[in-house]
Amino acid sequence: MKIERHKRKIITIPISSMSDIAFLLLIFIMLISLINYKKVIKIDYPEANYKEVTQADSNLEIWIDMNGTVYYKGNIVDLKSLENIIVDTVVKKPDTRIHIIADKNTPYKNVDKVVEILKLLQHRVVSFVVKGD
Amino acid sequence: MKIKRKNRNIFDIADSGSMSDLAFLLIIFFIVIAIFNINKGFILGLPQKNSTKIVNIKDIIKINIKENGDIFYNKEKVTIDDIEKNIKEDLDNNPNLTVLLKIEENVKYQNVVNIIEIVRKLNVENFSFSIMKDGE
Repeated sequence: MKIERHKRKIITIPISSMSDIAFLLLIFIMLISLINYKKVIKIDYPEANYKEVTQADSNLEIWIDMNGTVYYKGNIVDLKSLENIIVDTVVKKPDTRIHIIADKNTPYKNVDKVVEILKLLQHRVVSFVVKGD
Repeated sequence: MKIKRKNRNIFDIADSGSMSDLAFLLIIFFIVIAIFNINKGFILGLPQKNSTKIVNIKDIIKINIKENGDIFYNKEKVTIDDIEKNIKEDLDNNPNLTVLLKIEENVKYQNVVNIIEIVRKLNVENFSFSIMKDGE
């Protein structure tokens, strides 16, 4: 017996507009990444024209806002917890570069609190993060 | 019984023409994301707490920053532009120069960064910064 096959309709997906969709997605993700958690914690970066790249393979960022509140990964931490975090991180990865991202209008004593912890822990290098042209 | 197969026309659903567009956009996306995450600034060496280093007093330049933003270069009031000029001149005369930056507690962080920028730009090897305690 001859089985008759149905002729299927060939469905084609119009893909010429895919690049348009990808482009819109790109804009969307770029906008979202601009409103990331660094901006939620309001920090005005200090500015400098001359600067070096301080990013290392392993990094630990400490943020200090205008009022001197210290943040780690977006959460408020006290100095004791910060000390423990630094110790834990450095024990796991001794090459961790520590970045201090402080608001340009914060009094220096707030930055000094963190620097003193690093000195106490005998951490040799710190990076003061700035932005500029 | 022999079932006859029909030769179907091959349709390339994922048309490779627009795939290159997609790949290109992805590359741009990753480049942009990578640039966003790079921290730039100044790498500073920290001394051990309460450690001292003996330096010849002639090699020391003291820069004080006051709360109101005033800058004193060896007790002489100067502007931020003068600082660069002064350090450069002194550095030419004395390559072993040690810059000692004393910062009052409530000085804005930006003012401190301005001085650090100058010191790093001029490649001053011996640079020390510390907060000014009351009575200093």
